Amino acid sequence: MLDFAFWAPVFGGGLVAGASGGLLSVYIVGMRIPFIGVCVAHAALAGAVFGSLAGLSGHMLMLPAMGGAMAMSLALGLADPRRVRMDANIVMGLLFSITMGLAFLGFGLFGVLGKNDAEVRSLLWGSPFCSWGDVRLMAAVAVGLALFVIIFAKEMRAILFSRTEAQAAGIRATGVWTGFLILTAAVLTVNFQTVGGLMIYSLISNPAAAAFQLVRGNRNAIALSMLFGAASGFGGFAISAMTDLPAGAVIVLVSSFIVMVAAIIGHFAHKFRRPATDR
Amino acid sequence: MTFQAAIHAENLRVHYGKRDILNLPLLSVPVGQMAALLGPNGAGKSTFLRCLLGMEHRMQGDVYVQGKRVGSVGAGGIARLRRGIGYVPQQLPAHSEMPLTVREVVAIGRTGIAGLFGPLRGKDWRIVDEWIARLGLCDVSARGFNRISGGQQRKALIAKAMVQQPGLLLLDEPTANLDLGWRERMIEVIEDLYQSAGLTVVLVCHELEVLPPSCQRVIVLQDGRLLEDGPCADVLRDDLITSLYGAGLSVIRNGRRWAVAPGEAVNA
Repeated sequence: MLDFAFWAPVFGGGLVAGASGGLLSVYIVGMRIPFIGVCVAHAALAGAVFGSLAGLSGHMLMLPAMGGAMAMSLALGLADPRRVRMDANIVMGLLFSITMGLAFLGFGLFGVLGKNDAEVRSLLWGSPFCSWGDVRLMAAVAVGLALFVIIFAKEMRAILFSRTEAQAAGIRATGVWTGFLILTAAVLTVNFQTVGGLMIYSLISNPAAAAFQLVRGNRNAIALSMLFGAASGFGGFAISAMTDLPAGAVIVLVSSFIVMVAAIIGHFAHKFRRPATDR
Repeated sequence: MTFQAAIHAENLRVHYGKRDILNLPLLSVPVGQMAALLGPNGAGKSTFLRCLLGMEHRMQGDVYVQGKRVGSVGAGGIARLRRGIGYVPQQLPAHSEMPLTVREVVAIGRTGIAGLFGPLRGKDWRIVDEWIARLGLCDVSARGFNRISGGQQRKALIAKAMVQQPGLLLLDEPTANLDLGWRERMIEVIEDLYQSAGLTVVLVCHELEVLPPSCQRVIVLQDGRLLEDGPCADVLRDDLITSLYGAGLSVIRNGRRWAVAPGEAVNA
């Protein structure tokens, strides 16, 4: 029998993490920058590692983690693609390698200083020991993200199409994009402890990858992606609770299964749609 | 300082290191004129358009677009300036994974005008639908932008520029990679826009074949410098085309349309 008092906040956390990850994924996959997930997550990890080395623990580790993630988001948002003359994925690759290097340098320092790194290591893989307080925090950040996406829906749609084109059309793209990245950092950081830094990557790429197979249009894609994300988060924890399998791994497999099913349905649906014509 | 000209550039210089990409002592385009920017690859044509949009960070000199000085206005000012310029880029935006519909892509042109907060209103969508209809995109307006043909995508980008209700339209090789049929349809669209909307149009192109009948002026750039500037009949000469693109080419004129062919010209 499941201990619902223990599992209820975990399922709630899975739902919220999945839905907010699904919302993020529409923009991240839409702009072809899924690497941003590991990039920001490793910046948060580096922040948490050095926070732990400085003596912080428990929820206080969230502060340096958030600091690292925010710094990364600001760097990515303010890096003008025309000025740096590098593809966004190359910039992320550079920043990712720096933050990963810092994080693992920090892990090495635990041994040098004779400290225990178990708490920060759990951030890599996540932990289902999630309280209603954690869920409320995750929900608050998710609501913030949803409000931002509603308020700046048309600007985000333009940025999705092309950030340079959006700027050329007189849209304040840099400010809106940087705001979105800061909220991305916040969502990833608060979901960190539950889903894990590595596993969250699947929640910010797979739901939109599945939704894009099935629907057209901004709103439809967002709604379906959030639904797939929530199903992956909730389903992953539910299967984990019933089978004792590791939650993070099950979430990844559930979301990947959804992508596979969506791709098969999408493949057959395209066959019945009209082909592109030159008129 | 304001100008009657839609575009006025003085001592405009763009350089990467010691190499000049663009060096124009004076270039002006009056309001309501259609001018073509011609020249070989690397002549500085697209760079000039980026200067007009305030998107060229290495720009020096004075550039006025529709009476406003590019470079002296802040981020808000440059955004307002760009909202009055319809810009159709040379390259189609990189294939986005997001299945945006054609109507959503066209609506991007209204986004800056509608302001930072709040959605597009009924009036904005009416303008979007009007231009979709005018450019013959009604049948594909609900389809994914990535699922329509290259010619239809170009039309959608022109519609996106036109919903801004611009005073100045910048077209950077709008017929690039289009087949002959689509090229002619695009020329018709540009000609119709110019005749009916009373715009100033600057058209960047490589080929004389794409000059619309109403094009009154040709500005020829080479290595970032002004080589020739004047009416089509004065500028489009065999010797100029030969100096730009090599020997053995002749200019052919058929009414108000132009073309280049190898060998001796037989003009209609």
